[in-house]
Amino acid sequence: MAIKYTAKVIEHFKSPHNIGVIENADACATEGSPACGDEITVYLKIDKATDRIEDVKFQSYGCASNIATGSIITDLAKGKTIDEAEAITWKQAADELGGLPPVKMHCSVLAVDGLRSAIRKYKKEVKGIDYDSTLDVKTVTEELKHVLWPPVGVDIITLQMVKYIGIDQGAVRVEVSIGSDEKFLDPTISEIVEHVGKIRGVKSVNVENV
Amino acid sequence: MIYLDNFRGTMVAPEVWEAMRIAAIDKYAVPAAFTQCGTGAAELIERAQNRLAAGIGASQNEVVFTGSATEAINIALLGSTRAQAIDKPEIVTSEIEYPATLAVYKALEKEGYTAHYIKVDGEGRYDLDQLSFVLNEHTAMVSLMGVNHMIGTIEPLARAGNIIADASQRVGRKIPYHVDFASALQTQRLDVDTVKADLVSFSSNKIHGPKGVGALYVRKGTKIHPITFGSESYSPLMPGTPNTMGIAGFDKAIELLYATFDRDVEHMRSLVNRLATGIQEHIPHILLNGPEGAERAASHLCYSFLFIEGEAIMMFLDMDEIVVDTGSACAAATLKPNYILIAIGRNHEQAHGSIRFTLSRYNTEADIDTALAKLVPIVERLRAQSTIRPPAQ
Repeated sequence: MAIKYTAKVIEHFKSPHNIGVIENADACATEGSPACGDEITVYLKIDKATDRIEDVKFQSYGCASNIATGSIITDLAKGKTIDEAEAITWKQAADELGGLPPVKMHCSVLAVDGLRSAIRKYKKEVKGIDYDSTLDVKTVTEELKHVLWPPVGVDIITLQMVKYIGIDQGAVRVEVSIGSDEKFLDPTISEIVEHVGKIRGVKSVNVENV
Repeated sequence: MIYLDNFRGTMVAPEVWEAMRIAAIDKYAVPAAFTQCGTGAAELIERAQNRLAAGIGASQNEVVFTGSATEAINIALLGSTRAQAIDKPEIVTSEIEYPATLAVYKALEKEGYTAHYIKVDGEGRYDLDQLSFVLNEHTAMVSLMGVNHMIGTIEPLARAGNIIADASQRVGRKIPYHVDFASALQTQRLDVDTVKADLVSFSSNKIHGPKGVGALYVRKGTKIHPITFGSESYSPLMPGTPNTMGIAGFDKAIELLYATFDRDVEHMRSLVNRLATGIQEHIPHILLNGPEGAERAASHLCYSFLFIEGEAIMMFLDMDEIVVDTGSACAAATLKPNYILIAIGRNHEQAHGSIRFTLSRYNTEADIDTALAKLVPIVERLRAQSTIRPPAQ
């Protein structure tokens, strides 16, 4: 099967927009991790009177689609208010690039997560709005909507692959139903651990393939 | 295009293509006895069998042509294990074998075989003490490779062969020893008696022959069952009509390989050293994957470029028409980092930044110099964009 990037992905990979660092940024956030294969840092300069994003930059450790999605989400966010930018979805970012191969959709999720994290940091630190929600099944479910099943690029909640979420004093147990032969089993479990692990109050994450 | 991904498949040599063209026009009959056109095709196959057999110290009737090295590996491993009746059978290989071997072992595990995957050191060499330790009266197969396809480590096949021979003597039965020589044929000489191999798999498309042809050496007397069934007029192990045109191409490729073998290996060694020296001189923060110098096949060079990701490097080089490969998870259909790099002790991040260069006799100094000239700024640029940085000096 030929997995190809669109011309738009290649264009943004070759000449990414808004690449770099903003010194004295109003907010900056990093999502992903090098061990998981990709990482993005988003820097924001925000007009405090209007809450409009004056400037946005990003850095990327990752593949072509990671760089291209970083480029496109910073393009989309620039000039928007923080609320508008926070509403940008990963589907929107991927669509702007003319689509991504299903196995690369997680790059779009990561880029949007990076942007949202930076905005929420700004909201918390500058505007005093605390977005960190309490640890409950709903929060974990919402977070698991960011974990995509690579063969189709659709999240594991929509695909009904999550069978059970249990929480006990910060220990989270997630039961998923993925065939034991599945070649995507290990990377998907790592991603569940990474996503759930960043929810405030989570002390441990245990994923079982049932 | 500068093609430095020859393990994935080599360019068909012009002489090979010509041999295939002639075979397609003149030898299209099904190989058979008595008729002139049938025996003509059969003789073509015998010539090819003789050619490969002569190169590896075997006899003509010990060579059978297959549809690929993967098919040869399947016939060797499945056919030989199924031909033995061993109580609680065990099979042995290493954790860094080619995917075909590992996939057959997984399939055999499901059939009830117990598999042992021997470890390797930090440069990909087999732990022969562990090999020696796991062999016993239940062992039904040992499968090892000549050259590791990712990092180029030349494996101690003959020493392993001695260990297997000793164990065979101990248990009073020949333990079959399969060698995957697909990625080694281009740069390593093989004598099946020195290595004490019973089964050896080969690929045509790694030595400038066509795709769709491989070969299996089966030592006379080795117990083996076919895994597919049909007309056995060509070979019981490969029923059906043989790929005469492909075999003619493989034959020519083997002839060309051995005609200039030493000179070509020396040429590749000099190019690979030139590339390694250039990378070491111009790019900091790198890790060589696999051994230094002569312990690595002359065709292979694999580096990890730290703080950046390999698919991005590979794609930038591709835009400059330079073809390489990467062990990055991002470029893998499974999103997992290369298992060989993990087995030699690299962490995920180091595996992500890996680039493999595999050379052929057709590469030139100019290819290497151009590749280097393009690679250096690509690495610098991606590092400037990266979220991770070298630790402060």
